[in-house]
Amino acid sequence: MARKSSSLLGLANGVSHQLFHPVPDSAPPYPAKRHTKISVVGAGNVGMAIAQTILTQHLVDELALVDRKADMLRGEMLDLQHAAAFLPHTRILSSTELDVTAGSDICIITAGVRQMPGETRLNLFQRNLALFKQIVPPVARHSPDALLLVVSNPVDVLAYIAWKLSGFPSNRVIGSGTNLDSSRLRFQLAQRLQVNAQDVQAYMVGEHGDGSIALWSSISVGGVPIGLGHLANGKKTAEAAEELEEIRKSVVDGAYEVIYLKGYTSWAIGYSVADLVRSLVRDLHRVHPVSLLAKGSYGIPEDREVFLSLPAKLGSSGVLGVANLELTEEEEKRLRSSADTLWEMQQQLDLKVKS
Amino acid sequence: MEKVSSLSELGLATDIHRSLFRPIHHAAPPSPTKRRTKISVVGAGNVGMAIAQTILTQDLADELALVDAKPDLLRGEMLDLQHAAAFLPRTRILASTDYAVTADSDLCIVTAGARQVPGETRLDLLHRNVALFRLIVPPLARHSPAALLLVVSNPVDVLTYIAWKLSGFPPNRVIGSGTNLDSSRFRFLLADHLEVNAQDVQAYMVGEHGDSSVALWSSISVGGVPVLGQLASDDNKAAVVMEQEVLERIRKAVVDSAYEVIRLKGYTSWAIGYSVASLARSLLRDQHRIHPVSLLAAGFYGIPRDRQVFLSLPAQIGRSGILTVANLHLTDEEAACLQRSAETLWELQQKLEL
Repeated sequence: MARKSSSLLGLANGVSHQLFHPVPDSAPPYPAKRHTKISVVGAGNVGMAIAQTILTQHLVDELALVDRKADMLRGEMLDLQHAAAFLPHTRILSSTELDVTAGSDICIITAGVRQMPGETRLNLFQRNLALFKQIVPPVARHSPDALLLVVSNPVDVLAYIAWKLSGFPSNRVIGSGTNLDSSRLRFQLAQRLQVNAQDVQAYMVGEHGDGSIALWSSISVGGVPIGLGHLANGKKTAEAAEELEEIRKSVVDGAYEVIYLKGYTSWAIGYSVADLVRSLVRDLHRVHPVSLLAKGSYGIPEDREVFLSLPAKLGSSGVLGVANLELTEEEEKRLRSSADTLWEMQQQLDLKVKS
Repeated sequence: MEKVSSLSELGLATDIHRSLFRPIHHAAPPSPTKRRTKISVVGAGNVGMAIAQTILTQDLADELALVDAKPDLLRGEMLDLQHAAAFLPRTRILASTDYAVTADSDLCIVTAGARQVPGETRLDLLHRNVALFRLIVPPLARHSPAALLLVVSNPVDVLTYIAWKLSGFPPNRVIGSGTNLDSSRFRFLLADHLEVNAQDVQAYMVGEHGDSSVALWSSISVGGVPVLGQLASDDNKAAVVMEQEVLERIRKAVVDSAYEVIRLKGYTSWAIGYSVASLARSLLRDQHRIHPVSLLAAGFYGIPRDRQVFLSLPAQIGRSGILTVANLHLTDEEAACLQRSAETLWELQQKLEL
């Protein structure tokens, strides 16, 4: 794995010893305790944007990339390695074999099959399940203490699948969920309010995608709660609700618009996941809306083992706690309804894995 | 610039920000800030976007403008960056097919370029690129007459010369990314072998970016310790003796590594992104750091003063562009290589109608 490309070119071995020598009676190096290793499975547009952003933000000491396409993978690895003069000393590895991920602190899964024209949602799930059955058990075996971060879509179901296939405790399996959707909402509100998006607190929760829920009741700007009356220009409740729904849809459509225009999304999800990684790796205890095991939260029944996005405190052991926000009845109802839908879908999947 | 958001169309109260935040009594209107740094990137392909995204992540600009001929791709890329607003500093991101969007830039980065068609001669490719640069450079220069111009498109040395001619800018303000990245690849290879941080390996590739680049073996030092300084010297015990053959193999490996990435993944992007962001930082923050970049090389290292060609040499760069060119010791062979490149480029440039 650590084959030196330069030894093939005739550079004498042991040159480094001629240039540098240790002090007398040195002990051999300790295994570094603060060595952070992150693996990214899937070196497509999303995986590479995530990898590159993590690298630029100096979040990792060792980065491993995995993909089925050997040539593309090697090309991506070299392209990152060639930036060595401009980056901190990060070890970058790649392989088509999952054992390169061994000893990771975080494994990020971006691999996923794309929906074929006319394919049913269920069929897409079955194909993704088959892929995850190949990926998740070995990843879990090679890094039994890792955090698993699922980005592939449909992220909530796939996070559930990853949890089941890994055998990990639920706090160690997270889906990127609505972290990015929330950023898109905060961006739009920030533009309107002429304020920095980082000072806009606004959550999209629940199912990532068309069924996401905007928590209108929980928006604040610079710590100042914004009432619904403010947002909808004083209109009556029913009209207001309609207009807020338009805003929510425009946030959801934001993703589709980018896909329509450039073919895929990459940069925003890259930053979004790097933001999650920072909180996890540095144990920041920050609150992010991420997809997690939602049963028992907000009235979702204990028997509904589904993953949905909720605002949660994140740290080095994963999900530290789910925030207890005051949701409206309507918002809670929508969450429970999403839970039901996902649960029914999941029942139709065959999750048995030969261990 | 038009507001990107259509929230007002969707019903969000138009003056809500005034009810949430109030200015203090008798506040003066905001002073025109003198310190807004603006960078424009022309060409929103893989290279342009990797550069734009790295610049954004490293917080190098207050305003970033993207230009491309393809409006849908351009808008998609702009939105994809804007959607990360919650995770990024408040950088204003604009995009347009119209060069007016680049007005008042501090730095203009040109990545647009025609790709070589199979069977096309180098000269034909160059003619197409000259035609393209005629559309790009004059409006860029007109909209930002005081800007620094950084050319990334290949063949970078000739295209930087073309950009210089078409812009009418003084030569210190027109720079090509040149061998900045080749040098990084060189340093990576050496550092990987020597098990040392690449940032502690000083090593320059200079001259023509590409197959004819020159590796300055005498320039290599590790943590300040010259490595191959005196190849033939017996008294220097720290020097490592290496055969010319081996050195040439290493140089070729550096040159080939770019082709290898292109062969494997179709193009290069990440490394050039970091490389150019590093140049942008040194330029805009007036760092006076030394980088090997493509500059007007006439009069240096035996290149005749009338040979107005751009070649990479280690230069101190800062807010006014190229500040000085480093005075390194070159062997006769290395200087001869540079002079040969200068002649080749000069002859090629003569065939272009500028």
